[in-house]
Amino acid sequence: MSEFWGFVRPDGSVGARNYLLVLSATIYANSVVERVSSSLLGSVPITHHLGRTQTKSDLKMTFDILTRTAANPNVGAVLIVDHFREDLCNLEDMAHALSSSGKPVEGVNIRESGGVANAVAEATRKGAALIRDLSCQRREISPISNLLFGLNCGTSDTTSGLSSNPALGICSDKIIEQGGRSILAEFPELMGAEEWLASKAVNQEVGDKIYRRIKDFEDRIYATGEDIRGSQPTGDNIAGGISTIEEKSLGGAKKSGSATIMDVLELGEAPPKDPGLYMMYTPGHGSESISAIAAGGAQALVFSTGGGHVIAHPVMPTIKITGNENSYKAMSDTVDLDLSGTLKGKLTLEQAGMMIYDEVLAVLSGKLTKCEILKEATGFAIHRVGISI
Amino acid sequence: MVTGAGEYKISWVVDGEKDNVATILENGVSRNSVVPVDLGNNEIEVTLKDDIPYGHKVAIKPIKEGETVFKYGLSIGRAIKDVEVGEHVHLHNIEPLRGRGDLRVKE
Repeated sequence: MSEFWGFVRPDGSVGARNYLLVLSATIYANSVVERVSSSLLGSVPITHHLGRTQTKSDLKMTFDILTRTAANPNVGAVLIVDHFREDLCNLEDMAHALSSSGKPVEGVNIRESGGVANAVAEATRKGAALIRDLSCQRREISPISNLLFGLNCGTSDTTSGLSSNPALGICSDKIIEQGGRSILAEFPELMGAEEWLASKAVNQEVGDKIYRRIKDFEDRIYATGEDIRGSQPTGDNIAGGISTIEEKSLGGAKKSGSATIMDVLELGEAPPKDPGLYMMYTPGHGSESISAIAAGGAQALVFSTGGGHVIAHPVMPTIKITGNENSYKAMSDTVDLDLSGTLKGKLTLEQAGMMIYDEVLAVLSGKLTKCEILKEATGFAIHRVGISI
Repeated sequence: MVTGAGEYKISWVVDGEKDNVATILENGVSRNSVVPVDLGNNEIEVTLKDDIPYGHKVAIKPIKEGETVFKYGLSIGRAIKDVEVGEHVHLHNIEPLRGRGDLRVKE
């Protein structure tokens, strides 16, 4: 069985990184978070514009995504910055939600600190102490069965369904064969592929859930009264040759490989421990989707792109692959693997799948992705359904 | 499975029996060129009636207005005009059947 070198957490999960996460509980803590994180080596900031004046179910979704991202195995310790007093997205409730992870959690409240300057000083000192401890931790050998692997695609074109997605499916199959788990998401981009996916479900109940949850997303689209072309497929999908959502979906579904689909999860939900492929209800929005997968606990994700992409999650290394030689030339700063050989007679899909697999193992053990090196971190976003109040 | 993955080809067909479109994966493929199309069991030649940009589709069988467009052996939508062999297939002559909030409104 393949192995990687990872950081073992108190709850038994194994991380590919050992970050201090500096986390905004709410929008008004963002600037403090950015200042503090820029002062601390080995820290990663996460800021957002939510956490207050949301509908109750949206607020819960925001809370869950934030706390579950902090619980991700790649995070070694958490430093939360709070503003004054929020309902739910506050220091105490978030720390409580993180208590079962066993990892160190500290916090600073801007008003209690006496203003932003004091809050920056207090948080910087607390963060520095946490990082000094984190720096003592060593990687340990861990079987690949500990990997929860994310699958995603974006700025797809017609090479995606023919090259990078099926190769990714082969990589995912290899991880699952050895006891790991994979997550397939982006439900609006599976409209048209339900039958193919349901045929791989572990039982009738899961097959029905696949149809139902994809239909739920389609109903949300119908409720807009709009023809969604331009949003799905997007302008760049269309430029790349994808004409309809069905064409996009059938290509996108190839990321799932040949594994059995064990269950359908809600946005950000952690899958059960049983090895296999899981589907997660997320929108097609790349950052919202990969953020939900990171909240589910994935330590690494491969993002297949036709047109090239910059997306990278701040805490979950996001490996980018493409089968389009033009796109690799244009975007090689942020695209890690060039699989265009599969369309040129130089590489079989199986070989491409193994290239991805080897890269995943290396990244889990510490190899940096191109986006990590360049500090590209546009891949964090929280999904919402309702209005601001 | 994609026919002949691992070979060098200009045009790519997924289901050699059912698909009525092929995807062009080469730059500069222009009108009047003759493109070989591998269908798995046999190979045909298609004379292009349009320039086909990289990544775009070309019809390899005639498709009548209202008929299903097949790729991956499954429906990717339907034709909204008659399409001849060799023509560019994209938004101007096919439409999706899913996610059509605009059609629901009319019902």
